[in-house]
This record gives sequence, C-alpha cells and structure tokens, in this order.
Amino acid sequence: MQESSPEARDRLKRAMDRLAAGDRGALEVVYRLTNVKLFGICCRILGDRKEAEDALQDVYITLWRNASRYDASRASPIAWLATFARNRAVDRLRTGKVRRGAVPVDEAAQLADGSAPADAMMIDAERTARVHSCLETLDPKQGGPIRTAFLEGQTYAELAERDGVPLGTMKSWIRRGLAKLRDCMERGE
Amino acid sequence: MSADNLDGPGAGGPEQGGPELTGDDRLAAEYAMGLLEGEEMLATRGRMAQEPAFAALVGRWEAQLMPLLDDIGGAAPSPEVWDRISAELADAADRPGEVVVLQRRIALWQRIAAGSAVAAVAALALLFVPAGNDGAVAPAPAPGTPPLVASIPITDTPLRVGLTFLPDRDELLVAADGLTADGVHDHELWLLPPGEGAQVRSLGLVAPGTQKRVALDDDLARAMKQGAQILLSQEPIGGAPDKSAPGPVVAQGTLNTV
Repeated sequence: MQESSPEARDRLKRAMDRLAAGDRGALEVVYRLTNVKLFGICCRILGDRKEAEDALQDVYITLWRNASRYDASRASPIAWLATFARNRAVDRLRTGKVRRGAVPVDEAAQLADGSAPADAMMIDAERTARVHSCLETLDPKQGGPIRTAFLEGQTYAELAERDGVPLGTMKSWIRRGLAKLRDCMERGE
Repeated sequence: MSADNLDGPGAGGPEQGGPELTGDDRLAAEYAMGLLEGEEMLATRGRMAQEPAFAALVGRWEAQLMPLLDDIGGAAPSPEVWDRISAELADAADRPGEVVVLQRRIALWQRIAAGSAVAAVAALALLFVPAGNDGAVAPAPAPGTPPLVASIPITDTPLRVGLTFLPDRDELLVAADGLTADGVHDHELWLLPPGEGAQVRSLGLVAPGTQKRVALDDDLARAMKQGAQILLSQEPIGGAPDKSAPGPVVAQGTLNTV
C-alpha cells in the first residue's frame, strides 16, 4: 500500500536517512513506499513490462550503493527518487539496451495517466508547481511535444515523425516552448 | 534573429513565435529532458562532470520539470522484483570477504619486497636466462611476480580509484569504494601501454562504492606493465559504445611496482 499522506512522506524520509547511514534494512521500507510510483515511470518510458522491471531492480540496487548522494536539503525524497528512476530509464533507451515497446505494457497494469491515484506517492500532491500551469499557457504544438519528450523519453526525431513535421521544425517548436516555459517559471519564483 | 518562417504571423499564429532557448540554457534543458543524443549528449555529460555551474543549470531544469512525473499513473511490479533486489544485496554483502583476502596477499607482498626476498628470487632466475635473450620476449610471469599498482586521483576531490594488478593470477583489483554513481554515467578504466602508437584497451567499468576483482584475458594481462598509463573516462551508462575510443578522460594514473 502506498500513500501520499504526510505520515508516509515522513516514513520515507526517515528510511532514506537510515539508508544513507548504511542501514540495508531501510531499502525494503523505501521499496514498499515507492515501487508503484517508480515502476509506473519506468513502464511509461520503456513501454515494456519486463524491461521496466529490470530498470526498477537497477534503480533500487543503485540507490542502495549511492544513498549517500541524496541531499535532503535540495529535494524531497520522492522527487529525487522519481528523477533518478526517470533518468535511469531514459538512459537505458538511449544506450540501446532496450528496444522500446517490444512487449507492450498491459494497459490494465498501469493506472491511467493524470488520474492521480490516491495510493501513489506524489511529488507535488497539491499541484502547486509552476510547471503545470506554465505548460498550459504554451501553444499545444510546443507544450504537447515537451510533455511527451519528458514523460516518454522521446527524441526530437521520434517526436518529429510522430507529428509528421521536419526535424528542424520540431526542434524549433520545443526550443521556443522551453524559452516560454523558463520565462513563465521564473515569474513564479 | 534568423529569418525563420515560423516567426511570421501567418505560419501558425503568433503563439508559435518568440525566441528559441539558446546557449547553455538550451543544452541544460535538453539534457534534463533527455533530448540529446550521440556526440552532443556525451559532450554535455563531460561538461556536467567538470562544470558545477552547468550542472546546477541542469539540476534547476530537472527540479522544475519533475512535478510533471505525477501525471504518470502508478503500476505494480511483480513480487519477484523485490526478491531479485534482495538476493543481489545479499550477494554484494558476501563479496568483501574475497577482497579482504586479496588485500592480505598484497600486504604480504609488500613485506616480502621490503625483506628483499624478491631480489634473491630474481637473481636466481637470471641464471637460467639463455644467453642472447634480449628480453624482447617476456617470459611468463613466474608464480609470485609482485603486483603492480596505480592510484588515480579524482580531480578536485580527496577521492581516488585504486588499481592492483596481480600478474601471477592475471587479476585486477579495482577499489572505487569512495566513489558514488550519479545515475547518468558510468566510468570506464582504460590501459594505455607505454610507447608510441600503443592502442588504448578497455579494462572495464568501475563499480562505484565497491571493491571488485576482474579477471583479465592473457593478452590484456601481458600489456599490464610498469609505466603503462591507466585512464578513467566518463561514459554513457553501460560503458563506451566503441571500445577503441574512450569518452572524456576525467582522471589518470601510472602503473608501478609496489
């Protein structure tokens, strides 16, 4: 059972602190609290259940070896773990270890995007982060590909092919979108 | 300003206009998004390692974009995943035993060398070298050949990667226990034998936070000689795709006798 309650966040924080101090038992607590969230991310990016499970295993093993790198003053544990899992999954795509979507993820296994399930750890439970509202101010042609690139780990070439536009056009859309996104987020700081 | 037709009010509406993100901010954003590929990605990784200001820029984009990950629904992995993680951790906990044994062997070698027993053995061995042997063909290392070591300091940190090569066992002990992985790179060790035109050879990936034993094949073991350079390069996860070309070299050291 994974919860986003303040109690669950506290438990995760304490477990991360114990892990950083070298307590191997704390890894199981971290796993129980976060595996659904991190596996969802791996599935979405890798598009293959088996690859996503391999990636998930790699994420927690690497976490155990590098727990001391987590800096509690800079990010919440779940934000840090989600970033870590996403980057590891994207790396698996880029280094060619994985053929995306060889066996599609069983749709029933993954909760629908945007449904904000009550039992998943949330990075930003109140959705107060500027990126949500800022992304909505962008032209869909710019905002859509930025979202897809980030959430699915797609490259410029893949995005251009998907939308049926030249590569240069896609780069231009995204770079304009990113400039606007940055300006919007800076206004909110 | 480029004469990009997308700037025109007729090409999709004014919403699509505006300046593109450029320079380091563009690179940082594209790196954080995972949009970079190939050479550009590798070069940017090198900058992440060497330029704290650039790494901070990437970190800022990451932190700002990260809440979007809440839009991905959760999914439950099969229960075997935890079993596999748990088994791998138990394995890792068993391994230091071997390393301790190796360290004892090295300590023994250091004492033997200090007692000049090695010199005595070497003198005896010389008696059996046939006349006319110019030494170009190295004899197989006799059992008991002393180890070669290299210390590779990591720039701007008190950390180092320690290498110990045991010629009589063709084994390399790589101590990277002070290092941590950043989750986006691997580091790879390379041997650059002395002499002009020598080809660089991969010695494998460094496993941060561990001490590990690597068995070298004969060919590679023979190239492990005093004076050879050991390079540490930054690579994509999984190591250098092209084993004749290391990525950015971030540290180096020299193989020497104990």
